[in-house]
Amino acid sequence: MSERIGLFADLHSNLEAFEACISRAEELGVTRMVFLGDLVGYNADPAALIERIADLVHSKKAIAILGNHDEAVFKDCRNQMNASANTAIEWTKTQLSDSHVQFLKNLPLIVQEENICFVHASAHNPSDWNYVTDSMSAWRCAQHSGKSYTFVGHAHEQALFYQSAVGKLIRFAPHPGDEIPVLPHRQWVGVVGSLGQPRDGNPEACFAVFEPAAEALTFHRAPYDHFAAADKVRRAGLPEDLANRLITGK
Amino acid sequence: MPINSDIQAVDDIFQEGKVVDGFVIGKEVHRGGMASLFSATKEGVDVPILLKIPRVGRDQPVESLIGFETELTILRALKSHYVPKFLGAGNMATRPYIAMERVEGRPLEDLIKEGKVFTIDEVVRIGADLAQAVQSLHAQDAIHLDIKPENILIDEKGKLTLIDFGLSHHARYPDLLAEEMRKGVGSAPYISPEQVAGIRSDSRSDIYSIGVIMYELLTGELPFGNPQTMTGLRRRMWAEPFPPRAIRREIPRWLQEVVLRCLEPRAADRYQSATRLRQVLRDPEGVTLTERADRIEPPSFWENLKGLFKAVGYEPSPSPRPSMGNYDAPLMIAAIDTRQSDEDLRERMQRTAKNLLQAYPESRLVCISTIASTPTYEGKHESETASGIVRGHLVQLMEWAKPLKLPPERISYHVLEAMDPATRIVEFAKDNDASLILIGASHKLPNKVTPWRTSMTKIVEEAPCSVHIVRT
Repeated sequence: MSERIGLFADLHSNLEAFEACISRAEELGVTRMVFLGDLVGYNADPAALIERIADLVHSKKAIAILGNHDEAVFKDCRNQMNASANTAIEWTKTQLSDSHVQFLKNLPLIVQEENICFVHASAHNPSDWNYVTDSMSAWRCAQHSGKSYTFVGHAHEQALFYQSAVGKLIRFAPHPGDEIPVLPHRQWVGVVGSLGQPRDGNPEACFAVFEPAAEALTFHRAPYDHFAAADKVRRAGLPEDLANRLITGK
Repeated sequence: MPINSDIQAVDDIFQEGKVVDGFVIGKEVHRGGMASLFSATKEGVDVPILLKIPRVGRDQPVESLIGFETELTILRALKSHYVPKFLGAGNMATRPYIAMERVEGRPLEDLIKEGKVFTIDEVVRIGADLAQAVQSLHAQDAIHLDIKPENILIDEKGKLTLIDFGLSHHARYPDLLAEEMRKGVGSAPYISPEQVAGIRSDSRSDIYSIGVIMYELLTGELPFGNPQTMTGLRRRMWAEPFPPRAIRREIPRWLQEVVLRCLEPRAADRYQSATRLRQVLRDPEGVTLTERADRIEPPSFWENLKGLFKAVGYEPSPSPRPSMGNYDAPLMIAAIDTRQSDEDLRERMQRTAKNLLQAYPESRLVCISTIASTPTYEGKHESETASGIVRGHLVQLMEWAKPLKLPPERISYHVLEAMDPATRIVEFAKDNDASLILIGASHKLPNKVTPWRTSMTKIVEEAPCSVHIVRT
């Protein structure tokens, strides 16, 4: 069977969303998973989420990339994040064992394969956590990756940047479930959207599936019990606002 | 853009008798500038098959490849009675082809070239059928953008098929031709003024092209000729076409009205949906006649000059999403008072909303609530900041709507900031072209929230649509 890559980003300790997306991805016949960073932060299940992902990575079913929230667990990044995010990181630290933290420390910043690049924020200076949100940032990202396909997270909204006839990268807002032909003679930058904290007004979790042989990319939205996930956030004593974000998807 | 050099070998792959992905290649039936067409067969496929192979190679324009990629994307996504069925495709880098149903029929272009004179009834029928075919695309968020007689097949029974989607636009897929340097891509006589200006997202462009075709079939002439220069192409942005009735007197006034309305330079002045165009062609009684119907003289020098001045500031009208041309998708507003806590009323409103939504499967629900105003300062806690307060209200709206179990595309939530809720709600209904406002009236309302009740009177009086008051 040809390869089918499940792409998941900005999971942010949201176990309910994670399980919904993984089972949906398995139904879709995903053969390999890539976790594009920000495994932790914001929500209530950092330890459980790291353990699931570590298992998948150790059994060679997945690779995982470092995100800025993961880095914040072992490095002081307070001045780069807002108050709720910092509160959540401080709380996350209390929930993690040394081995959890070690797993995060060992994550690579960027992974380059033959024709694909995986990175959390942008292939342009990955450790600076640049957002890919517009034509220019997407172009820089594609230039530095040099691959036909670059998949990123960090920006929480799903988007596909494609190289137009004039070379410029144009933003496209994908429609969930539509299989988009992505032919390799162009450069593409896919922002797969946030699994654990969607912000486009739709609470459903984001992920994407890429089929290299079929040259097709499909963005997905998976409904999950976001009220339960929000409840956990409240009960953990995390800022109320973080619970509300899960319910509203904003 | 690097293009794989393997592509040079394409001519060797596609030869009569060879087999590609199970397709047994037959005769070459057509060789055009952009593509070659072969007949084919495949086990298990019981319709005649056509393979379209792009002409690629060193001396070919890059457009033929982009056009191929575009057609592959869009044809694969379309399901329409008026479009050939997509049957498969080959890898673009090594053996590019699109396999599709080989549809019976001859291009309308051939009939025109043979000098066929179309009766008024024939033109009306072709126009109405074209509108219906185009509507089937628009309903799926696709726009053809290259509707011309060459791309319309007509079979013996008169059934139409639209072909060639190499220049089309589909709102759900990246537009590979967007921001292309060359403006006005398409066939000069048939493209709309906004296409000349480089806009590829207006479904009303197809309505313009149908107008050109009807004009041509009625009069034997093209409304703006076949210009070869940008200046010539731009003429349609300001000039009035010669009235069809000045060329052929038997054309009924209503039909001239319809054709000239399709040819309006501003998309907002044309029929706004292909459905509407089909309706007026099927039911001429419904056509409102304007001065367009009465024109019999060619436009005067002065009128054209006026038009030219208007065109200096030609601004294409904003393009609505293609599928929005449909009127059968009502928008309902549920005005929810987040302050009141009457459980009976809440349940009854939810039930009413559910029933209404079931009655109109295409409908959408917008849940709104109003708040007085948000603080401009940034509070210490999230819940005190503007975004925190709004989000708090949104959460309540979402909890309210949770039992309706609507998919996200059918529901949205808005917290409106307003000192006078009634006025704001009415305004919101107007702006969004709502069909219905659903509002609850509780008899258990405590006195101190009576403003909501006076609001209701105002809403009932001023709403631009029906108001449904739910009582307990």
